[in-house]
Amino acid sequence: MVQMEQDALRKHLRTLLEEGLQTEVEPRAYTSEDINHLVHRLQSLRPDDYEGKLQIAGFQLDPYRPPGEVGGDIVQSCETCMYYVVHRQYCELPELAIPVEKDWSCRLWRI
Amino acid sequence: MANLLWLQGGACSGNTMSFLNAEEPSACDLVTDFGINVLWHPSLGVELGDNLQKILRDCISGAIPLDIFVFEGTVVNAPNGTGQWNRFAARPMKEWVRELSDVAQYVVAIGDCATWGGIPATAPNPSDSQGLQFLKRNHGGALGKEFRSKAGLPVINIPGCPAHPDWITQIVVAVATGRGAEVALDDFQRPKTFFQSFTQTGCTRNMHFAYKVSATEFGQRKGCLYYDLGCRGPMTHSPCNRILWNRQSSKTRSGMPCLGCTEPEFPFFDLAPGTVFKTQTVMGVPKDLPLGVDKKGYIALTGAAKNAAPAWAEEDIFVV
Repeated sequence: MVQMEQDALRKHLRTLLEEGLQTEVEPRAYTSEDINHLVHRLQSLRPDDYEGKLQIAGFQLDPYRPPGEVGGDIVQSCETCMYYVVHRQYCELPELAIPVEKDWSCRLWRI
Repeated sequence: MANLLWLQGGACSGNTMSFLNAEEPSACDLVTDFGINVLWHPSLGVELGDNLQKILRDCISGAIPLDIFVFEGTVVNAPNGTGQWNRFAARPMKEWVRELSDVAQYVVAIGDCATWGGIPATAPNPSDSQGLQFLKRNHGGALGKEFRSKAGLPVINIPGCPAHPDWITQIVVAVATGRGAEVALDDFQRPKTFFQSFTQTGCTRNMHFAYKVSATEFGQRKGCLYYDLGCRGPMTHSPCNRILWNRQSSKTRSGMPCLGCTEPEFPFFDLAPGTVFKTQTVMGVPKDLPLGVDKKGYIALTGAAKNAAPAWAEEDIFVV
């Protein structure tokens, strides 16, 4: 996917989220079993089912702050996620593989 | 001339195969250049039956001085502590191990099974296996915590699944040439010369580790394998990226995660489904952080490193 296509797709994904696409922000995938379950669900989607990807991964437009996290040292955003490629602004988790923005977040976040 | 005897307990012979591929020095060099007399070895020994038993008995009686006793594989205790599941030369192997260890100048455990029990001792450990002086992280094992060979050293542990061939031959040469006392051991009785540094030391992906760029699939030519694919390189003591395998490469260099096979807990998480080749996390943070790094520091470093990452770190750099 060339940069222009990625930019256009990122804009489209943002619009979907801004217009109120309901995503599964919670429960978070905090155990290996949870993560495997979500990844399996994502694997069942067509590669271009972007709405489905946003919904299952629980994307939102803002960083996620776990309730009760003292000091807020774990702020979950694409910016700090291991799947995020900074310069391309892209999520490289093979099951997602979508352009994102640094302040977005999803429940497959890992640092 | 130093007499060496090599026996196998609960083993797959992987360490023997590794040993036979040694290059610096080679298995042949041990005999021709370093004066090591191989009394018997499962793949090299020519004696069988009564003749082999005589060698073993002569070692125990002192008729043949036993300088180096090498053991590969676990000490099998099942069933019910008898060791009958692993019989060798007409008796349980564990009895040979005990008596030969008592008369040897040096005892060397080769591979994870002989050092800490390895895969056979993974729960539920049906063969009731132990390493020579450890069972996983617990000191003791088949010979007991206080065991010392006649030269005054505990068992020299050379772990790995398998151990690198040159780790084996270099330590054998060191003890055979009278430099055994110079072999400094760590808390797990591993030679520090090999096991003080980390598997990550010398890894060609260290730049990706530093800039927090993750590999997400096996064999990728960029990205660190620690963040997602379960690589244990930052927590594992081994020289796998200093003393290369086949003089060519290493797991991490070729895009496969380190499994941590030189550490007592190997295989980690008792091989529970979903735990192999996947970094285990708690709330998105790796359960096992690089040794000596705390959670807060790790999170702070990650944010800074990703912000500082140059564009080239996101591209394949090992192009053909």
